[in-house]
Order: sequence, then C-alpha cells, then structure tokens
Amino acid sequence: MDSTGEQISDALKSVFGKIEEKFGARLLGSSVFRGELTFLVAAEDLVEVATYCKAGLGFDRLEFLTGNHYPERLEQPFEVAVHLTSMATNDRLRLKVPLKEGQKMPTLSSLWPAANWCERETWEMYGIEFEGHPNLIRLLTDADFEGHPLRKDFPVRGLVGGRIRTDLKGKI
Amino acid sequence: MAGHESHPPAPPKPRATPEEMRERKRLSRQRVSDDSEFITVSMGPQHPSTHGVYQAVVDLDGEIVVNARPSIGNLHRGVEKLAEVKSYHRFLPLTDRLDYISSFAMNHAYAEAVEKLMDIEVPRRARYIRTIGDELCRLSNHLLWLGVHVMDFGAQTFFLICFRDREYVLDLWEMLCGARLTHSYARIGGVAADLPDGWVEKCRAAMEFMPRRLAEYQRLVEKNRIFLKRTVGIGIFTREDCVAWRVTGPSLRATGMERDLRKTEPYAAYDEVDFDVAVEYDADVYSRYLVRMKEMYESCRIILQCLDQLPEGDYINQDAPSQTFPRKKQVMRDSAAMVQDFMQTFRGPKVPKGEVYKAIEVPKGEMGVYIVSDGTSIPQRLHLVTPTFYHCQATPALFEGEMISDVVGIFGSVDIVLGDSDR
Repeated sequence: MDSTGEQISDALKSVFGKIEEKFGARLLGSSVFRGELTFLVAAEDLVEVATYCKAGLGFDRLEFLTGNHYPERLEQPFEVAVHLTSMATNDRLRLKVPLKEGQKMPTLSSLWPAANWCERETWEMYGIEFEGHPNLIRLLTDADFEGHPLRKDFPVRGLVGGRIRTDLKGKI
Repeated sequence: MAGHESHPPAPPKPRATPEEMRERKRLSRQRVSDDSEFITVSMGPQHPSTHGVYQAVVDLDGEIVVNARPSIGNLHRGVEKLAEVKSYHRFLPLTDRLDYISSFAMNHAYAEAVEKLMDIEVPRRARYIRTIGDELCRLSNHLLWLGVHVMDFGAQTFFLICFRDREYVLDLWEMLCGARLTHSYARIGGVAADLPDGWVEKCRAAMEFMPRRLAEYQRLVEKNRIFLKRTVGIGIFTREDCVAWRVTGPSLRATGMERDLRKTEPYAAYDEVDFDVAVEYDADVYSRYLVRMKEMYESCRIILQCLDQLPEGDYINQDAPSQTFPRKKQVMRDSAAMVQDFMQTFRGPKVPKGEVYKAIEVPKGEMGVYIVSDGTSIPQRLHLVTPTFYHCQATPALFEGEMISDVVGIFGSVDIVLGDSDR
C-alpha cells in the first residue's frame, strides 16, 4: 500500500483487503490520503471492479464521476475518477482510471443510471469517449460549441461566437 | 425554549413498506395504450413553473407522460474552469452563485473541503456560527420552496406570505454580513467576521417566532383539499430509484431512509446539538413537503440550541498563518497580521499535495466538493458535486407515467435551482 502514513477506518481496511485479494496484480496501485481510499484501475478492468464493488462490497451509490487532465503526463494525460458510496455504512471509495489521448472508457451508466449525465459532462469537458453510452451529446455548453473546455490547453479567456443555429432545430 | 419543541400533529398516515411503494408506483404508472401517437410538448425554459431555465420536452400519450427529455446548461458559467486560475481564497465567492438561494451552505461546503485538504481546525465558536448559518439557509431555502411549490398549485397569496417571513431570515443575514443573498461569509478556517452586537437577541426572537408561523402555514396547506388531492400519492420515487439516480436530501428522506449527513458524518457543531432527522415513508410529493416542514422546525430548534450554547473564542483559525486570513480588525494594527493578509490575498494559502472529497448536507441534498491539489495555491482540479444536477437528471424517471398536470407539482417537489446544476 502506497500510504502517506495516514490511517483508514477498519471498514475501509477490510474493503481494501477484499479488493486487493480479488484483483491483486491487475490493480495499478492504491493510495490513502486524509482517510480516503483510492485505487488505480485500468480502463478494461473498470466495469468488473465496479460491479464487484456494487454487488459484493455494498457500494450501491455512484457519488459522482469526473475527469481530469494532466498535460505533464505524456503517456496517459487523462484520468477519470469514479466515487462510490455505501448507503449502509457511509464508506467512500475512489477508483481512478488513467487514460491515453483518444482512449475510450467503458460506460458505467448500465450499473448506475446517475452515471449518464456525469459521463456526458466528462466527454464534453475533456473529450473522453465512453463506449456504449446511450446518448453522448453536449450537456452544459451550446450544441455547436467546439473544443473541450476543461482541458488544460483550452484558454480561460477568449471569444467564441454566439449565434443562433436554425439547422439544429428538432435535433436537441 | 418554549414554542419550538413540539411539532403540530401531522395527519396520521400508514407506514408503507418498500413493496407497497413499488406496487403503488406501478399502478400509478400504467400507460393508456401502446400504439397511440404521442404528442410532444415543450415545457420551459422560460416557463415560470420550471424554477429557472430548465427545459423539459415531454412526450404525451393522452395526458400521461411517456418520456421526458430534460435540457440544462443555459446557465453554465464555467465555474470549474475558473477555479483552476484562482487561489483557494479567491474562489470562495464563486460558490455563492451555485445555489444562490442558500449561498452560505455552498460556502460552507467548499470551506469544509479545503479545510479537510489542509487538515486545519476550525475554532469551536466558528463551528457554531457555521451551524447557525447553515440552518438559516435551510429555513430561507425551504420557505422560498414552500411558497413557490404551493404557488405551482395555484395559490398566489401563499407565495407572498412565505416571502414575508423569509424577510426575517434575510434581515438576519444582512445584519450579519451585509448581503442578503450572496453571503460569501465563510472563510477557510472559520467565518469572515464575528456576530455583530445584538444579533443573537434578534436571531433568538425570530427563531422563537418562526415555529408559530410554520404552524400557521401547515394549517393553511394541509387542510386544503386541492393541495392534498394534487400531492398525496403523486410522483412516487422509491428508495431504490433515489439511490440509483443519486437523489439526496429531503426527497431521499421522504422514502423512509434516515440518511442525513448532519448525523451520519457530523461536521460543524451538529454533533453537539440535539435534533431529529425528518423522515417520511410514502415517497410522494406530500411526503417531500412534510419532510421539509419538519426540517424547518428542527432548524429553529438547532439555531436556538446553538445560540444558547454559543462558546466564546475566535471566529477564524489563528494557528495556521500560512493558510488562513487574520482577524480583520488586526490587519491595520499589527504588522504581522498585515503581512499575513497581504500574502493570503495575493499569493494564496499553502496547500499540501493530494485529493479530497467532502460532502455536507445543504438544503437541497448532499453537496460535495472534490479537490485535486498539486501543492500550489491554485487547485489543479475542482469538481462541484451539486445536488440539483442529479435531481434534474432524475426528472424523466420522476415524470414518467404521471399526468401532465402533475408534472409541475412533481418538479417543484424536488426543489431545483438551476444555478446549482449548471455551475
């Protein structure tokens, strides 16, 4: 365990043990910070790990799912963080998935319907595509917005033309 | 302490099991026919009943909603992008603009997350002031919600009556921090200023007076046959649905689940005051109404307890000069405090590397802040997990199978502010 010398609760310790035992070598790493447990998971293993967490460990609620961009990491600049909560014990668990530029993520919207908009937002903001997502269209920005605004190379200031598109009528 | 301890008697209701709830939901969602043509109606984004710029395109089979496609984003301001160019202190006023009805609770959620990241203590007095602030927000939020919700059913006067009493809460805020809506009152490590002279008495008077008004509202609403007919048994959203769609707050507690972060994960001074979690069991619009009414009584109770137990001491942490602001009065008298103030304003706080997630119970549900820090005074990534985003997402599941005339009421019952969902 790549621990920063911090302690986690006994319940999370048993969760850690179970996940470590089941997936062992397939996990890319784990860390603890401020009592929060994080696992690094490869994209192809994510659905399996998440299904096990939901069905086997009682993490029945998706707290949220979001992306991140590290331009200084040349190999895998993107990352998706999935947060799970157990309604019975109020334990929280974080699964992080490092991604290459253009690499696709499996969707979690079949496991948790709440993942639907989170994944739409993550795609819109970072350009991370979710394979098997039912409706991957823009959510917060305009339908004709170009670019992925939360990428670090997207400027904070600038002018993007705001015009009324009539050709999108009926498509949104 | 008289007057705020006893709840007025609620009408007796049978406690429904989850199976009964599911059965009721199944019965209420029977489709008229499978082969008829659907009519598509667009509600919003400028419709007054949509509580902001929310649009729902609903497909109707006769009068029954078959499918709804919500659209949000008309208020998107790129708050998360802005967070990546501002220091931790400078971002705080932006959190006001998320849920502008209960902005202090938003400040509080953000401050709690940053404090967890920095691992700093909040003085006991500041924790009490924050608790009072949170509950004042809950009161003003629920009063606004109640007025608008009842207005959705056609009662115009009730809206104005609720606004009259919301003024008492807003006046308290104005006296406390000078602002009525966007407070920006929390600071990392405490609050911006101490309670002004005479505020405690004014607040106590308002909180002793408020339960009487709430009882008056209950008499007005709960004996109104139109209100009951349009809320009881309508818009059932079961516990499983709530967990699957991450619906939190009063909507979750209306399904019989006793989940309130104030109890399960106590923050501020909630572990030092005595209060009950409001729970109802029928998971319909009326239950959500009852949960919020009970919560308002509890808020008054919590505030009165906090005022009684209010400890002496600092209102902002003074042990971490590289991370928090000094007391404002000291800045012009003490050179060290002046340097500290300058450094905090222009350079920002010192923050360790790491990432944290912290959620608190705001009036609309569970509001979480996810911060990834790279060790500089500007967040590498800041994600705001706002309740309304998930509540808006769940609206198709809420509307499906209901009558078109009930859509407005159901939508009102989940309590939505679009600034919160669009960020």
